[in-house]
Amino acid sequence: MSATGRNLPAAAGALPEVRQGQRPSVMRMRLAPGRRAGGPNGPGEDSGVEAEAARRERTQVFLARVAAGLGILVLWQACAATLAPGYIARPLGILGQVPAVFGDQSFWSAAGSTLLAVVEGLIIAVVIGTVIGLIMGRLRDVDRALRLYVDSFYAMPLVALVPLLTVWFGYTPLTRLVVVVIEAVLPIIFSVAEGARSLPAQFTDVARTYRAPWWRVWAGIVLPASLPYLLGGIDLAIGRALVGAVVAEFIASLNGLGYYILFNVRSFQENRAMLALVLLVVFALAVRGLVSLFVRRELPWYRAG
Amino acid sequence: MTGPRARAALSHWRALLGYAVGIAVGVVAWQLIGLHSANFVFVPLTTTLSSLGSLISNGSLPNALASSFSVYAVGVALAIVVGAVTGVLFARRALLRKAFEPYLVALYATPMVALIPFLLALIGYGFWPKVIVVFLFSYFPVEFATQRGAQSIAPELLDVARAFRTSERQIWRHVVIPYTLPYLMTGVRQALARGLVGMISAEFFLSAGGLGSLLITQSEQFDTGDMLAVTLIITLIGVILMAIGRTFERRFARWRVTS
Repeated sequence: MSATGRNLPAAAGALPEVRQGQRPSVMRMRLAPGRRAGGPNGPGEDSGVEAEAARRERTQVFLARVAAGLGILVLWQACAATLAPGYIARPLGILGQVPAVFGDQSFWSAAGSTLLAVVEGLIIAVVIGTVIGLIMGRLRDVDRALRLYVDSFYAMPLVALVPLLTVWFGYTPLTRLVVVVIEAVLPIIFSVAEGARSLPAQFTDVARTYRAPWWRVWAGIVLPASLPYLLGGIDLAIGRALVGAVVAEFIASLNGLGYYILFNVRSFQENRAMLALVLLVVFALAVRGLVSLFVRRELPWYRAG
Repeated sequence: MTGPRARAALSHWRALLGYAVGIAVGVVAWQLIGLHSANFVFVPLTTTLSSLGSLISNGSLPNALASSFSVYAVGVALAIVVGAVTGVLFARRALLRKAFEPYLVALYATPMVALIPFLLALIGYGFWPKVIVVFLFSYFPVEFATQRGAQSIAPELLDVARAFRTSERQIWRHVVIPYTLPYLMTGVRQALARGLVGMISAEFFLSAGGLGSLLITQSEQFDTGDMLAVTLIITLIGVILMAIGRTFERRFARWRVTS
């Protein structure tokens, strides 16, 4: 684990996942069967036996997963039906609400509002975070001046800023966007700075030997070398961005999935609210999946570490 | 005479200067922006500090801190215990782990704040709903870190232990627990941070008490000085907890097996 696996950075939140060359487990799940299935056309005479064993194991795991999933749903349904009041969410109720919710204009407008704000905020955070992170990683003086602030904001629960931000930006979507950007930008700054800092000195030495102009060193060496770290930062940022967006919607009563959940739970429509929650989870998993897909396809040298 | 020692001293002073400039710019900016903006938007640092003083002397901040911390401590402690136990369990029982993995991953990706309205409808306001929120925020990092640690125990260690007919209890005491602890500590550090987010969010919506609800009340009254004071305290708490978490992590990382 050469360049990527050195000393854990102080702040790398959940970064160790990326650092140790492992992808988040979503990816491992999806990768594992494919890798094992490579057996049949691989070399070796007992590959047929191996493939057979692998196939049996895969079926076993699949069945166990289905059984676990069904078990959870049945238990939930049974508990809700016997112990809880009728308005509490339950699997069959949620299923029954699917057509109504998916045909509901307000659901899609809420979904579009939240998800667009999160995507927009992530893009802004990536730009700002990459610039600040690269500068902090390469220029020690700037790093020292900014470190205290970045460290403190990364350590604090940023949702605590939401009430203050509602005073500054009003009960408007702008507040949500600002919250999303602040939540997302910190892990990105942190990871990118870490990546830029851990760039081997030989690279920049060689560039200097060949009299490369400074902007080519930054754009051609420092930025690409920090790219995997940037993606690690985005992986951390997405969850935080969603939490920020939902809290902002709760407090400022903004149209969005968070408020859709709040509103429907309050009007005893928990099954509908649950579908909005499911959409939030699917979105988070999809973005993280895209990030690791990108790492796997475009940055294979990173995984090789 | 510019020997290596003189150069080292110079870079030391330069580093200190960097930190000092950072702090000074921040303090001056806070003061100036505060002086030149409306009181409900931003207040100078000095006003913030006097707000902090009155919040402490009238008892509202100490009360909020006590209320917040009882929730936080119980929630995080539960998350660490349950997370460590289930993490080891999942690591040692492969089929169980594989069966539940997709659901755990989905839950880990769930923005837990979105569960607060459901909890409110199910069990109402009070101490335990808030504890549950803190638990939900901090459980998964502990579980995942522990599981990863226990899963990565070198098989040779277990083989050697078995070869010497080590009892199951001794294997746990001398192999599994020492091997897993450093990983657990990484999870604990993350849990400490996430638990704080859970605590503040829970107090926004589930409480009459605690730092979160103090902030909400102040924002409704446009009491920016008080809000900044409480935010400052929350930041300080976050920084202290992170330092504690990192100290634990570093302490145990010393005997983390590196290959």
